[in-house]
Amino acid sequence: MSRTLWHFLIALLYLFLLAPILVVVIVSFDTRQYLAFPPESLSFGSYAKVFANQTFISAFGRSVMIGLAVGLAAVVIGTLLSMALVRYRFRGREGVNFLILAPFLVPHIVLAVGIMLVLAPMQLLDSYTGIILAHLGITVPYTVRTITMSLMSVDRRVEEAAMVHGATPFAVFRRITLPLIAPGLIAGGVIAFLISFDEATISLFIVSVKVSTLPTEIYNYLEVSTDPQIAALSVLLIAVSIVVVIAVEKLIGLRRAL
Amino acid sequence: MSEHHVVVENLVKTYPGAATPSVDHVSFALPKGEMLALLGPSGCGKTTILRMIAGLIEPTSGAIQLNGREISQTPVHKRNMGMVFQAYALFPHMTVAGNVAFGLEMRGVPNSERGPKVQRALDMVKLGHLGDRRVTQLSGGQQQRCAIARSLVIEPELLLLDEPLSNLDAKLRDEMRDEIREIQSRTGVTAIFVTHDQDEALSMADRLAVMSAGRIEQIGTPREIFDAPANEFVAGFIGAGNFLSGRVTAPGQAEIEGLGPLRFAAPASVGSRVQLMVRPHRFKLAAPGPNAFTGQVESLVYRGQILTLAITVGGRRLTADLHTHAGTLPAKGDTVTLAVAPGDVTFLSEAAA
Ligand SMILES: Nc1ncnc2c1ncn2[C@@H]1O[C@H](COP(=O)(O)OP(=O)(O)OP(=O)(O)O)[C@@H](O)[C@H]1O
Ligand SMILES: [Mg+2]
Repeated sequence: MSRTLWHFLIALLYLFLLAPILVVVIVSFDTRQYLAFPPESLSFGSYAKVFANQTFISAFGRSVMIGLAVGLAAVVIGTLLSMALVRYRFRGREGVNFLILAPFLVPHIVLAVGIMLVLAPMQLLDSYTGIILAHLGITVPYTVRTITMSLMSVDRRVEEAAMVHGATPFAVFRRITLPLIAPGLIAGGVIAFLISFDEATISLFIVSVKVSTLPTEIYNYLEVSTDPQIAALSVLLIAVSIVVVIAVEKLIGLRRAL
Repeated sequence: MSEHHVVVENLVKTYPGAATPSVDHVSFALPKGEMLALLGPSGCGKTTILRMIAGLIEPTSGAIQLNGREISQTPVHKRNMGMVFQAYALFPHMTVAGNVAFGLEMRGVPNSERGPKVQRALDMVKLGHLGDRRVTQLSGGQQQRCAIARSLVIEPELLLLDEPLSNLDAKLRDEMRDEIREIQSRTGVTAIFVTHDQDEALSMADRLAVMSAGRIEQIGTPREIFDAPANEFVAGFIGAGNFLSGRVTAPGQAEIEGLGPLRFAAPASVGSRVQLMVRPHRFKLAAPGPNAFTGQVESLVYRGQILTLAITVGGRRLTADLHTHAGTLPAKGDTVTLAVAPGDVTFLSEAAA
């Protein structure tokens, strides 16, 4: 009896969590020029308009580029930091550990103001360098997390065995450590890409016209009009995230199964 | 010195923060092609010695020479050693052949030569048919053989083995023991072998170093160590023994507390206290007489070829290993007499009274 009640509550919770997404998906097919629920008639009209909107298309392209650059750089930086944190005992290690955690604790809006104040005097506002640096600030903590986890599970004896059998320190890293932490690198890179791809708060402070990203364009568009195009765009954003996650799951899943 | 392949001199290792050294002035020299076993209880510093020789940790002081050349400052990857780790430490993301080829690759051996060498090494350890397998899909014994092939294919100056058999079940352990020994003598590689199993050490090594608390207590052939242990620790660690202490009453004769007179074949001054030992297999069933002790059989363990029995004499226990073909065997509660020839009594130490 209490079990059914329990199941019912859990189902309700899921519904509550998923409801906004469901509403957005349904509204994206509405034919009216304003946002309202439930729709009266359905079509793919909003999607057609989104794909015809040059602003959205080029912002999407920039978001992907920025996301890829951020993902790659966050993995490289995350690897270096993780190696230092896991493998070496140095003075100030605790401090570095805390600094890396900090972006988890500080609200994005606060970070945004801080990052803006730092980037402005360097003339980096509304530049690719600026937005990538800003996104690195919030994504590196995640790559450090996943890569540190992978690194801690690498058996030191395996690396020592490589060394004894003739591998230079660099060869040990290239041939042993790197392949063994690859799942952590991929996971970290994907998370960094997705965060960068979805990030709006900080981006709004950094970019204006030249390097606007898809989330900032959605925000700009919302300021002047609210129609189902926004819903369609949101569905496309969600779809990209889901596709990336599934692709990686399949990829790493397959590698593990081999 | 130069005739020795490996020379270790006064090697000391004190780990940072440790009060006492883990390895304390260890010295030994090993001719080419010999196999040395480092034997001792857990924590006595065996692995530490091996890791210093491999270059994985730095000695606090002391010298390590290979072919007459000091190698303490040589980086690990240039020492040309093969090593079999306790848990094998195979490269989990590579195939069996990939693991074995690794060292050759690092030495820049061209691809065309690598293939045949890897195959030969795999054939030697009977894994020739499993080259394409991932190492994670091997049994414990196969992993161990893969680790041996990986360390031998590079034709190392020195082969280091850290308890390579400890993860195997008893039957496989016996097989691998013979196999390692055979491979070692066939390839003629100089080897240092760490173990805390005395049977393993006795049956595999040309020479044996018995260690305790970071020091080498005795180094010698298995025979020397077993028959002429330098002290009580070595005697007790290698094989079982009946330890008897007493006072020398006449040349070659001591009065053992609770047992009576025992004759032994070693010089010791009259009046001093001596520590003697009789190995269980040195006792024979006999009629009462000199160097014989009579008592009641307290326990019996039948082991096929050998019968281990314990008798109580004057409040103390003596154990004996008797061959089961020796006529009628005693039963529990029987009164028997155990005799030992004076030459079979091991003299351990002497101290002034
Ligand atoms: N990295 C280390 N830091 C500090 N102390 C260590 C370290 N490694 C080993 N020790 C200490 O040094 C001593 C010798 O250790 P070692 O591993 O050489 O022993 P062992 O003879 O190989 O033992 P076992 O048979 O259990 O493998 C031990 O007391 C151990 O606690
Ligand atoms: Mg050890």
